[in-house]
Amino acid sequence: MHNAPKPNLEVLPTKAQLRRSSIIAGIGAVFIGVAVYMPAELGQDPTGIGSILGLTEMGEIKQQLAAEAAADAELHGSDESSSLMDDIFGLFVSMAHAQEAWQDEITFTLEPGEFTEIKATMEEGATLYYAWTSTGGRVNFDLHAHAGGQDVTYEKGRGQTEGEGSFETPFAGDHGWFWRNRDDEAVTVTLQLRGDYSAIVRDE
Amino acid sequence: MKTLKEGVRRIPMRLTLLVLSVLALTTSTALAHDVTPGDAGYIQEIWGVHIVPFIYLGAKHMITGYDHILFLLGVVFFLYHMKDVAIYVSLFAIGHSVTMLLGVWFGWGINAYIIDAIIGLSVVYKAIDNLGLFQKWLGFQPNTKSATLIFGLFHGTGLATKILEYEIAEDGLLANLLSFNVGVEVGQLLALFVILIVMGYWRRSPNFMQQATYANWIMVGLGIMLTYVQVAGYVAST
Repeated sequence: MHNAPKPNLEVLPTKAQLRRSSIIAGIGAVFIGVAVYMPAELGQDPTGIGSILGLTEMGEIKQQLAAEAAADAELHGSDESSSLMDDIFGLFVSMAHAQEAWQDEITFTLEPGEFTEIKATMEEGATLYYAWTSTGGRVNFDLHAHAGGQDVTYEKGRGQTEGEGSFETPFAGDHGWFWRNRDDEAVTVTLQLRGDYSAIVRDE
Repeated sequence: MKTLKEGVRRIPMRLTLLVLSVLALTTSTALAHDVTPGDAGYIQEIWGVHIVPFIYLGAKHMITGYDHILFLLGVVFFLYHMKDVAIYVSLFAIGHSVTMLLGVWFGWGINAYIIDAIIGLSVVYKAIDNLGLFQKWLGFQPNTKSATLIFGLFHGTGLATKILEYEIAEDGLLANLLSFNVGVEVGQLLALFVILIVMGYWRRSPNFMQQATYANWIMVGLGIMLTYVQVAGYVAST
C-alpha cells in the first residue's frame, strides 16, 4: 500500500523523451565538469569560461590552500625537531621588558596574491603589544603560533586596514602573523611591536 | 614544463603569481598557519560581492548534500505530473529559502547536530508517508504540501547553520547570500533533472510499485541512520 496509485503509462514520459533527456543530462554533465567544476575546484580553465565567471580564482585559492594545508601537515609531523629548536631558542631569550615606546617597526609590501609571515620568538607567558596599518589596499591575516605540538590562534581577519592589541603566549615559540594580500592592488603594511620577545623571524 | 609555459603565455599574471607562491611554499617549510582548506577556506579569504562563485557553492552544497537530495527524492517519488513536481519542489524551495536567509541574516545559532537530526527525520517521515503508513495508522492522509513546506523550513535552517560556519564576510554578505540561495535552487533543479530521468525509466517498469515499497523502506532506514549519526554526534559533543 502507498499514498499514491500506480502510474498510468500514458502520463509517464515516453522512452524517446527519456532518452533525449538522458543525452541532454550527459552533455550537461560533461560541460559543467569542464567549464565549471575544473576551474572552480582545480583552478584549471580549458574553456576560458571559468575565468569570465570568476570561478578560476576560487579554484586557484582552493588549490593554494590545499597545498598550504599539506605543507602544514608535514610541518606538524616534524614537531620533534621544532620543539628542540624552541629549546635552543629559549637559551638565547633575553630579558627585555616591555617599554612604552615601540621596539621594532617593520614595513613590507605585498603584491596581490603574495603572502609573508612575521613572527616574534617568545617565551611562555610573555606579552606582545602591536599596532599595524595598511596602505594601498586591504589585507588578510592570521595571528597565531604553533610549536612543539601546540597551537593557538589569537585573531584572524580579512580585508582589514589596521589593527592593534596584545596577546599573552600560552607556550614558547614563534608567535605572529601570516599576512596575505587578496586585494587587487599592492598593499604596504607597517607593523609596530613591543614586548617580551628575543627575535623577529621573517619568512617570505 | 611544456604545458606550464603555454599556460604562462595564456594567462601570464595569474599563473606567474601561482607559480611564485608554489615556489615560495616549497622553499620555506617554516611558513605555515592554521589553514582551512576547501570551500570554507576560500570563503574565509575573500570579501566583497562574488556572485558566480557563491552560486556555484550553493549548487555544490545542494548536490553534495545527500540529506536534501534524499528528501527531494522522497517528495517526487510518486509525483507523475510535471505540474505536481513544480508545486512541491517550489514549496520545498520556498521553505528552505526563507529559513536559510533569515537564519544567516539574524545569525541563528542552532546546534548543527540537532537540526541535521530533524532533517534525517524528514526523510523518515516522507518515506513512511509514501508507504501509506500514516493513512493506515491515523486513518487519514496528513497534508503532503504542508509537510513539504514545513520540512523545507527545517532544511533551510540546516543550510543556514552550515553557511554561518563558512563565516562569510560582512562586506557583500547580502548579495553573496542571495547568490548562494540561487545556487541552491540551481543545484536542486540539476539534481531533480537526473532524479526525474531515473524515476521515468523506473516507473515504466512493471515491477515499479513493488520495488517502490522496498525503496521507501530503504529510505526509512537511511533516514534513521542519518538521524542516529547526528544524535550520536550531539551526545559526543556535549
